[in-house]
Amino acid sequence: MPGADKEADLTERIEAFLADLKRGGCGTGPIRGSGETARETTALLRKVTAQARWSSAGDLMEIIRKEGRRMTAAQPSETTVGNMVLRVLKIIREEYARSRGSSEETDQQESLHKLLTSGGLSDENFRQHYVHLKANVIEAINELLTELEGTTDNIAMQALEHIHSNEVIMTVGRSRTVEAFLKDAARKRKFHVIVAECAPFCQGHEMATNLSKASIETTVIADAAIFAVMSRVNKVIIGTQTVLANGGLRAVNGTHTVALAARHHSTPLIVCAPMFKLSPQVVITTVVRNRIILSKVNVHCPVFDYVPPELITLFISNIGGNAPSYIYRLMSELYHPEDHDL
Amino acid sequence: MEECLVEYFRTQMRTDPDMASAVAAIRTLLEFLRRDKGETILGLRESLKWATDCLTEVDSSVAVSSGGELFLRFISLTSLEHQDLSRCKKVMEERGELFLEKISLSRTKVAKLCHTFIKDGAKILTHSSSRVVLRVLEKAAAEKKRFTVYVTESQPDTAGKQMADALRRLNVPVTVVLDAAVGYVLEKVDLVIVGAEGVVESGGIINKIGTYQMAVCSKAHNKPFYVVAESFKFVRLYPLNQQDVPDRFKYKADTLRTVSDLSDEHPMIDYTPPSLITLLFTDLGVLTPSAVSDELIKLYL
Repeated sequence: MPGADKEADLTERIEAFLADLKRGGCGTGPIRGSGETARETTALLRKVTAQARWSSAGDLMEIIRKEGRRMTAAQPSETTVGNMVLRVLKIIREEYARSRGSSEETDQQESLHKLLTSGGLSDENFRQHYVHLKANVIEAINELLTELEGTTDNIAMQALEHIHSNEVIMTVGRSRTVEAFLKDAARKRKFHVIVAECAPFCQGHEMATNLSKASIETTVIADAAIFAVMSRVNKVIIGTQTVLANGGLRAVNGTHTVALAARHHSTPLIVCAPMFKLSPQVVITTVVRNRIILSKVNVHCPVFDYVPPELITLFISNIGGNAPSYIYRLMSELYHPEDHDL
Repeated sequence: MEECLVEYFRTQMRTDPDMASAVAAIRTLLEFLRRDKGETILGLRESLKWATDCLTEVDSSVAVSSGGELFLRFISLTSLEHQDLSRCKKVMEERGELFLEKISLSRTKVAKLCHTFIKDGAKILTHSSSRVVLRVLEKAAAEKKRFTVYVTESQPDTAGKQMADALRRLNVPVTVVLDAAVGYVLEKVDLVIVGAEGVVESGGIINKIGTYQMAVCSKAHNKPFYVVAESFKFVRLYPLNQQDVPDRFKYKADTLRTVSDLSDEHPMIDYTPPSLITLLFTDLGVLTPSAVSDELIKLYL
């Protein structure tokens, strides 16, 4: 039966994705970039919307939440998966509200204003059936996919405003976003890049190779030399794994050091992060990996660092530049507060 | 008329000692609204303003004032929608009850948000006695987290001792410290949680005297300083320093009435600027201090 085939195909795709996620985090480093993870998650959610059986928005949201929980459980440190699920849930809410004819304002955040003026304890149960809801949701998800595909280019386009000639830029480890950013600026400006190698996986080496292929003067330094070199640096531009709700970062190990050194020398710290990295979490648990190198020595190797928002000067995302104190506002536009705990 | 109002307010505070003073004020004003025989909306607003002034004479805290202003705002917003007074009053009474119902749940919402920040084995410092902080710690204890609490004694009314008693009843290990010992104890502490009597537009807070000191010390020691407050405590003040906080909030109502020279009196509250606060936990969510003014703008503009 064609119906059963499609369902089997869908479950197969989801299982393959989950297995991939589980593998992606363990090993010698991330196998795939977070951009690809975000795109795959969204494409998968679109497939679920198209093929799963649901009659009302409430059912669809339940299905998406269930799949979302499975996906986040497979790889908790990969927050982009959870973020995309939240985006899709918000899309469903918006499309439902639009179908109902109510303005989008009524379904927004809790606010004092809403507390005072609402007529009843709004128990939105999303039970009503609308014929065009499926098509609208799928169209909105397609728009989201287009946005995801363009994020790196959108960020790179802003490079010329921030990088000037003869500047010395410092970066940490390897970030595809920062790489594109610097390559775009290199088309019209000449500048120097210092890359901190970021032991023990030394992704900085790969970054330096890629940058020098684009004819950018690059220097690789050891992590211990970050503070020593910082006095000569004009700007620090870094990528991150996640942007937290308070404007802080969860970034690769060593970023906090760079941030503190930059603060000490009053060097601006610019973070290039696309919007899909924005996560509603605030509390973070460090991911630690142990390697026993000698039988009596335990080596702690945390993968991520927390950087508090006070150390960051500017966030450059696909929608423009923002201060860390504004992140809470962007978050309220992307996600609905009731979805924050999947 | 005035005694009736004041008596109702006092009864509310007595029957439910757990109720916030702002909630009692709003409840009193709602009752006043029900009994009011005015014929025009303007007359209604005038009498409500008078009623709020009566209440602030009884209890001069910031919370009562913010509760009163919120209620007035509520009246204005509702009166814009319905022109006819009797219809308007009916809607106001319904919505008022609904509003009271929602805000009675706010402490639970705050506790739900905040308790995840208390990790197992944490040492917490708090100031004076705050029912919201107590609720947060109750929730954390219910989640089987082990933590110890240091409470400042909080002169001149030694409210900290009440907090300590309440915590002992929950089987939480608690130590009462002198107000002067805050700097001494901060090196042992992991996080600081305080309540607030009022949250001002800048994102700063107005709270029992000694809070500012605690905030400055925690900044110096790099410890997170968390504030827990319900959303009805947001008030339209923008103080830039301690002097800017109006005198009517700084001293108790009796003091304001009887004493002529306030420079000899000890203020009961102080202002903590937003730069010293890490996060605010409210029933509207976890907010950074910069988000507070956003909320106030959404309401008052």
